[in-house]
Amino acid sequence: MTFHQFAYRNVIRNIRIYAAFFMASFFSVFVFFIYSMLLFHPKIENGYLGNVPIFWMVIAEIILVVFSWFFIFYSMKAFLEARAKEFAILLHLGMDRQQLSRLVFLETMMIGAMSIILGILFGYSFSKFFFMIVREILLLDDLPLYFSFEPFLLTIAVYLSAFILVSLISVYFAPERRIIDLLYGPKTQEVSTLYTKRKAILGIVLIILGYVLSLLTTRTTMILFSICIPVLITVGTYFFFMDTIQYIVDRVKSRKNVYWKKSRMLSIAEQSITFKKNGKMFFVMAMVTTLAFLSIGLLATLSSYTSQYDKLNPLGLIYKGHIDNPLELRHISSLVAELEEQGLSYHLTRFTVLKQTSSFTNYEVEVFRESDINSLLFSYGYPMVRLSKGEGMFIPYSEESIKQLSNRTVHTVLLENKVPITIDQVYPEIIFPSSIISLNSIVISDEDFALLDRPYMGYPEEEPGYHLYTFDIPQWVEAADIGYKIQQVVAAESSKVEYSKEKYPLPYYFENAGLNYSFLLATYSLFTVVGLLVAAVFLLAAGSFIYFKIHTNLEVERKKFDVLRRMGISNKELKSLVTKHLMPQFFLPLGVALLHSLFAFFALQSILKNFANVSIAKEVVFSFLFLTIIELIYFMLIRWRYIAYVRE
Amino acid sequence: MPILQIEDVTKVYEGKVTHRALNQLTFEVEKGEFLAVMGPSGSGKSTLLNLISTIDRPTSGEIIFNDIKPQNLNSTELAFFRRRELGFVFQDFNLLPMLTVEENIVLPLTLDNQTVEVMEQRLASLAKKLDLTHFLQKRPNEISGGQAQRVAIARALIHEPSMILADEPTGNLDSNSSREVLELLSKINRERQATIIMVTHDPIAASFCDRVLFIKDGEFFNEIHRDDRRQTFFQRILNVLSLLGGGQVGDLSSIRLP
Repeated sequence: MTFHQFAYRNVIRNIRIYAAFFMASFFSVFVFFIYSMLLFHPKIENGYLGNVPIFWMVIAEIILVVFSWFFIFYSMKAFLEARAKEFAILLHLGMDRQQLSRLVFLETMMIGAMSIILGILFGYSFSKFFFMIVREILLLDDLPLYFSFEPFLLTIAVYLSAFILVSLISVYFAPERRIIDLLYGPKTQEVSTLYTKRKAILGIVLIILGYVLSLLTTRTTMILFSICIPVLITVGTYFFFMDTIQYIVDRVKSRKNVYWKKSRMLSIAEQSITFKKNGKMFFVMAMVTTLAFLSIGLLATLSSYTSQYDKLNPLGLIYKGHIDNPLELRHISSLVAELEEQGLSYHLTRFTVLKQTSSFTNYEVEVFRESDINSLLFSYGYPMVRLSKGEGMFIPYSEESIKQLSNRTVHTVLLENKVPITIDQVYPEIIFPSSIISLNSIVISDEDFALLDRPYMGYPEEEPGYHLYTFDIPQWVEAADIGYKIQQVVAAESSKVEYSKEKYPLPYYFENAGLNYSFLLATYSLFTVVGLLVAAVFLLAAGSFIYFKIHTNLEVERKKFDVLRRMGISNKELKSLVTKHLMPQFFLPLGVALLHSLFAFFALQSILKNFANVSIAKEVVFSFLFLTIIELIYFMLIRWRYIAYVRE
Repeated sequence: MPILQIEDVTKVYEGKVTHRALNQLTFEVEKGEFLAVMGPSGSGKSTLLNLISTIDRPTSGEIIFNDIKPQNLNSTELAFFRRRELGFVFQDFNLLPMLTVEENIVLPLTLDNQTVEVMEQRLASLAKKLDLTHFLQKRPNEISGGQAQRVAIARALIHEPSMILADEPTGNLDSNSSREVLELLSKINRERQATIIMVTHDPIAASFCDRVLFIKDGEFFNEIHRDDRRQTFFQRILNVLSLLGGGQVGDLSSIRLP
């Protein structure tokens, strides 16, 4: 038997021990390869696949590489630790360190090669399926399977170098331990549970501070807080896992009535050691899981916003201008010409909207004419409005406002012209997007509208009203590049106004729903493709960390359970002991991550409220539930194997 | 009235290689007796101890414990039987490293869901008797081997079992600690009328007992009772051991001499 044969047989005959390491490597190769296939796809034009910039996918791929290197390194370390005894026997028999390194290197390369080959094979066979999904997400016509050498070479290069480096590093930098310790296991287990009370409390305080800040987030404080909160939370979480848990466990321990009860004593004492030894890992896991939650939750939010977009923005193009806007005619005729050129059908409505002062609130109110509104409603196919003299109707600005306004009756007088109006109904659909109309918009009958001779009190300092041109375009998605030039001027000025808080200087405003939608869709697609990858890898890694950690400690655990079995614990108690032992490891980081992301979404919701009226609660709950169920299944699986092993 | 009856117990390990670990072994243990089981490696001592501690079942034959037949109990009942009737002392102590000394001692009681008052009361009296008071708050890795074994004995005693099973309790101890532990065991045996079965290689350890049972290749070989003087008892044990080794009387046995 040569040395190579020995290494080979080690791998082949111990396939069960190697399986975990192999699976972990295999899966990361698999995911990496599939994404490389997308990265080198011939359909990519100018760095864009559909409307997703490839640049961000490269970034995601790099994150994936860094992460999978770390991941392989970690599993390797755990794996070597689990086999310490075997190595000790070899060293005892006179193998030198050099040979041992070579043995580990050879074995790692064998597993590495196997996982690379299988990962690529499976990856290639699943590529078509993946492309089909991506095609659906990106709304591409087709995304064919192709063959080129780049993805293969990239994957092999990245992972081969990873395996070589990691196996060299993990052997050479492994702390030199005495054979006798390896052979019999260390005589004593290090169980110091040092912590400082100050840090323990600091951890909780920092986390709570972060939460409070996230609840207080508004649009103005957004930028400052989005830097502050992650720092607070990260540091807080670190202290939480390193010190706070120890502190809590210690407090529980000092109360014997609670502590010395049934198997509680064992599990509590165990937790303090588990968390001391693996606190850093749990911290990383909690943060990683938070990231995964955030990306999935964000995805769900975007998807809900995208699906509601049509309803919230019923108009294809909107042009809004001052009464004396000199460019009005030019712009409208150019828009009409562009629409004609593209052969898109449209329905143009011209509104004259007047500002008046309401006696009810003493504020301005925007007044629409019944026949103007009916012209637009006709093209929507919505029911018409019928108002007689003295009647008015609210125009809703959001779904919520329909409910709020439906039970309100307002008796008001339009002060400038002394026209009395009773408003007691609301139109049951959204007619204009919320960015266009004010919160105080009503429709009155043509008769009343004709009475509004005198302009708004604030005139001439303020505009007395505006002209509104709406284009209802059935194929609004295709109208994305209509009025592109006007849009650019408007966008440039709007962004200036946003930073300087000055008054909007242009006499006109233009919005193209199709264009906005295409931006939204691009972001959404990007998040889907990139976010799903990152979330999947993070979750997998988080799960595997626990698996490897447990795997390494299995021998010690088994011995402990052997003692307990002799002392007389029943199978039921053993199971509950295992459950109590594993539960915190799985669900504490998960729970912390859930809480973190929950507050992150609170903040997100309050920011979103300002410019898009979408509620994300349902989506977020759903995605959290989904992830928790996955974690639960994983927990059951591990628990089952664990019990089987310690009962052997 | 014997507390434990072993009747024609045979244990065969099935597997790729069938191995008969015990063959029709029969003996009895009286209440309050301190019994040593000796025999060379592979003679079936550990198998016997596993059978008595009910974590393994005999292939044939019966073990009767105070009129209870553990074979007839289901696994949960067995667990309850073990936690109430048996106490264990192991060669490598097997104290749980994450618990402090006092927590290790009360562990059997917490498993049995006793009240804290009972636990503290018994802990206090045992700690005093076994001289553990000054290191109760320490961890197992902070105490010496002899202290660890005394803690283990306290753990085996705290639930007042009817029988204590000791597997090479002095195997990992130096001679002073060994003597301390053995004297402690025989003191417990005398004062509490505790029945102790001790498996050992060590003739000195065996000489502290009332009776020594020798087994060889899973079968009963010989037994000798203690007489007035430990010195002569020790000599007789050595004689049987050299017989057991298969050679002539006077030869060194295959097992370790002190």
